[in-house]
Amino acid sequence: MSAQPRGNVIIDPEECKGCGLCVESCPPECLELAPELSPYGVHPAQYTGEDCTGCGACFYCCPEPGAITVERLTPPAKTSDPAVAQKEKVSHEAAL
Amino acid sequence: MRQLCKGNVAIVKGAVLAGCKAYYGYPITPASEIAEYAALLIPEVGGTFIQAESEVSAINMVYGASSAGQRVMSASSGPGLSLMQEGISYMAGAELPGVIVDVVRGGPGLGNIAPEQSDYFCVVKGGGHGCYRNLVLAPGSVQEMFDLTVLAFDLADRYRNPVVIMTDGYIGQMMEPLEIKLRNVEPPAKDWAVKGTAETKNLISSIVLEPDDLERHVRKLEAKYQLAQELESRCETYLTEDAEILLVGFGIVSRVLRTAVDQLRAQGMKAGLFRPITLWPFPSRELCETAKNVKQVLAVELSTGMMVEDVKLTLNGSVPVEYYGRVGGNVPSAEEITAQVFARMAAHV
Repeated sequence: MSAQPRGNVIIDPEECKGCGLCVESCPPECLELAPELSPYGVHPAQYTGEDCTGCGACFYCCPEPGAITVERLTPPAKTSDPAVAQKEKVSHEAAL
Repeated sequence: MRQLCKGNVAIVKGAVLAGCKAYYGYPITPASEIAEYAALLIPEVGGTFIQAESEVSAINMVYGASSAGQRVMSASSGPGLSLMQEGISYMAGAELPGVIVDVVRGGPGLGNIAPEQSDYFCVVKGGGHGCYRNLVLAPGSVQEMFDLTVLAFDLADRYRNPVVIMTDGYIGQMMEPLEIKLRNVEPPAKDWAVKGTAETKNLISSIVLEPDDLERHVRKLEAKYQLAQELESRCETYLTEDAEILLVGFGIVSRVLRTAVDQLRAQGMKAGLFRPITLWPFPSRELCETAKNVKQVLAVELSTGMMVEDVKLTLNGSVPVEYYGRVGGNVPSAEEITAQVFARMAAHV
């Protein structure tokens, strides 16, 4: 795991239907299907918690609007405070 | 204007360009992005987006908006299309234009959310009641998702009939370059529409109680469908001039078949591809012409054999027709198709 994570994935297990497209699409292979079932009877995708680069491939291939949110955590400049890392959400508006 | 675009999103962009001012639907995977982007874009151009309480409600809202002369659409997947059948039949009976998108997923029943082409009978043969037809377009790329949506609105108005864009969970979900050439589209004037004014006494209805009147009405629809059969069939061919083996497939399957044709050609087999773009009217004349010197036809589809029936009806025994299909969300690879051709057809050529 790199010292400064570049991205983060938030998956809503209420929306995920467990198709696995995001797991297959993830370049750093940091997504997986949860071993336990969701209330809807599917194995929802989950983030392993490490290695997300914020590329957004999972967001774009997901067929469920609202199931996946990707946060891009821009690495701060060497001299700046890590606390001011800018968050850029991959939103549907940006996808237009 | 070139952009990277998802198939489902391209549908909405095509609808906006075509002047669609109303979207009524209910989200369903793998068609949800159509509702999502319609909610975003249609109101931006002064239109109306309503998430209905069900697909039955949505299609009847489409009926209402169409009666008022609006360019209107809805989208769904298999289970939702099943619910819409009554409304689609009513629209055809009342001669109302409208565009309905079916992003086909695995069935029957709830099935799954992966791609299939198994709504062919439901959509192409008319899943609702009565003597009617849907005009059915089958895009093979994200670009065609856009282009054929614009065409669908034109055809719907020209024939005053529902037009269904039958695509699949694969093309709906994949992203490809999309070239949008901006242009002004003027929807035609509709003097038959209900305007809500004292001057216009138009009535939109599909009820015709007198047998002779209803027969006249059905014959009128039939004449319209015959005209569509003469004028609107569309297809694409690839390396068919000298082909001895003809692969037939639409939608995402045609993309796989194109690669299979290349692979077969590289191995010395004269293979070609025939891709119906309109599933109804089925491009029968074009297929007969293409298959004139062909020795074997292989129809490939994501179903247990639906389009192959139209291929057989068209060729009427003149050429042996075989079928290969995958279901459940599985899409065959080009290698799989090539192996099928060698296994069952090479001996005949």
